[in-house]
Amino acid sequence: MTNKNSKFKKNKSPFSKGLTPLQLIELDACTQCGECLKYCPVQEVTGNLAVSPPEKIRMFREFIKATEGLKAKLFNPKDIDRKLLEEFTKAVYECTTCGACSQNCTVGIFTQRLWPMLRKEMVRRGLGPVGTQAEMPGVIKKTGNPYNKPPEDRFKTWFPDDVKVYEKADIAYYAGCTGAYEAQPMVRGDIQVLNAIGEQFTMLPPEEEVCCGFPLFITGQHDMLEDLTRRLVGAYKAKGVKVLLCSCPCCVNIMARDWPVFYGKELPFKIRHITQFVADAIKHGRLHFKRGLKERIIYHDPCYLSRGVGVIDEPRAVLRSIPGIGLLEFERHGLNSRCCGAGGAARKVFHENAVAIGRLTIDEAVDKGADRLVLSCPACYVKVNEAMQGHKKQIKIVDIMELVAEIIKDKNTEFNSQESK
Amino acid sequence: MKIFLLVISYLVYAAFWGRFISHAFIWCKGTRQFRTGPLHISGVSLSLCLVTAIDLLFFRRLFNENKVLWIGSWTFHVSFILVILRHLNYFFYPVPSCITHIQPFGLVAGYILPVSLFYLLAFRIAGRKKYFSYHNFFLLGMVLLISLSGLLMRMFFSPNLVDVKSFMLGILTFRPDLLPDSSLFFIHFSLVLLLVPFLPLHIFAAPVVTMESGRREAGLRMVIHDK
Ligand code: SF4
Ligand code: SF4
Repeated sequence: MTNKNSKFKKNKSPFSKGLTPLQLIELDACTQCGECLKYCPVQEVTGNLAVSPPEKIRMFREFIKATEGLKAKLFNPKDIDRKLLEEFTKAVYECTTCGACSQNCTVGIFTQRLWPMLRKEMVRRGLGPVGTQAEMPGVIKKTGNPYNKPPEDRFKTWFPDDVKVYEKADIAYYAGCTGAYEAQPMVRGDIQVLNAIGEQFTMLPPEEEVCCGFPLFITGQHDMLEDLTRRLVGAYKAKGVKVLLCSCPCCVNIMARDWPVFYGKELPFKIRHITQFVADAIKHGRLHFKRGLKERIIYHDPCYLSRGVGVIDEPRAVLRSIPGIGLLEFERHGLNSRCCGAGGAARKVFHENAVAIGRLTIDEAVDKGADRLVLSCPACYVKVNEAMQGHKKQIKIVDIMELVAEIIKDKNTEFNSQESK
Repeated sequence: MKIFLLVISYLVYAAFWGRFISHAFIWCKGTRQFRTGPLHISGVSLSLCLVTAIDLLFFRRLFNENKVLWIGSWTFHVSFILVILRHLNYFFYPVPSCITHIQPFGLVAGYILPVSLFYLLAFRIAGRKKYFSYHNFFLLGMVLLISLSGLLMRMFFSPNLVDVKSFMLGILTFRPDLLPDSSLFFIHFSLVLLLVPFLPLHIFAAPVVTMESGRREAGLRMVIHDK
């Protein structure tokens, strides 16, 4: 139970506990130059300096100084004003953790990792997470997904009837919660393309394919992560999986970067993004496009795919191999792409920011004269579609595998396609 | 006054290292979990060393971000270091030859330093609507005052350099000597003492982070790509 007294003590307790030595050095390395602000999507739509990287870093530095600095050691740690802590908590959760500041930091601070760890500290102090995010651990425990949807329905509404899933195979496909419950055309596309390639693949039963842990990780709620990781890794290992495929950049990120930490050793299989697998299949002649698409399309790099795991060329290779397609680029693309607004589990809590950021992407795509905006992240897919509702500029939105699936399926599609020469 | 300045000097010096050491303790206290594994960190290669050296010596990251700021910032840092090295002249007897060789560069840097500071201050004021760090502004102002007072001594109101040197050596050797009879020197020296406690820790931390970011970026292609 938290009474006034224990809260008081808590505000004096050290802030550095959950950060690595390098992250603590990173906090001190910020020169407060403010150069990263021009890349911050939240700054673009709110202008709220409290959310800016140097300000968040400065505030956290002050907390450390007040509780662990030389003065605090010699005399007494200062009690930090609770209001200040609450303001900081809101700021650190309003950030989309897109990492654009990290990419453009003049010093090289890895903020894409730093922000989730600062959130973790605020959770430890009973201040985070914000809004409905707090319900996530309970909901995931109950249903296996953060959307409170029935686990048995996970694949029901979208999984194509004509595709065979093998009991055991070298390749496994993980749909992910956002794709399965909120961006079904995307995961259906994944399965159709995998099927067209003709490689045998396996999947876990719907009740066993639980959350990868990313929503918990990114909101700083780490308690269940080890358990979720062990369950999933154990289940895929039992199926003899050598490569685990997934189309959600956030899942791929936590699988590749953090699962080994929670699992305690190197994973017994490789993690690959679906575009890597499909680009390879196209390159080696295992997937052909019999017809093309005479359209100009623009591809949006998801933050956790480009800056997160360095998958930049493969989606472009897939798109370029579609006959007739003209590929356009956003001003900021690849490692420097602009967040779509959905990142950092902020899309539901800071909905207005997310919609406003999503509209920046739509506006640029329209201004560039693209016929279609291609995405490759379920969270982007949901949020950009939402951002388009009621917006003056309109564009067709499609997921990369949804697009590929439509082109490779039968000739009578609703697409404005043409026979490839 | 002599004893007062002396005591203050030692206090400032002790406080600086106390602050640094206490921060170093905080750095070391961090958790061992989530240290990026070897999987995602590139090994040390010649090209990586080269890139890191360029990052550190020429502020490549800042150059890529903002060339206008880079010119001012790089010039400031280089001239500041040269001026400090030149001042080592006052702390050694006999003066090592490397410090003697640096003197002409340090002298030129002494003229460039205030220019770069005016440039940086103008840059900060012009861009203050975006983000404004009062601490940085204060630091730049302090260094500007220090460099201007130094320049005035150099050009117009030179103190007795022998007195300056014996005063500085006195501080170093715990044998306090007379404060040189120059109010400008007094101001110059006091401002330096005032500046030291405010020196930002990024002078130590930023090079470490920049080096690590080079390794991390080189390792990005290893996260889910075949090596
Ligand atoms: S991670 Fe993205 S949203 Fe968060 S501060 Fe950095 S640029 Fe802004
Ligand atoms: S660019 Fe890096 S050093 Fe500069 S303010 Fe942003 S986080 Fe700090």
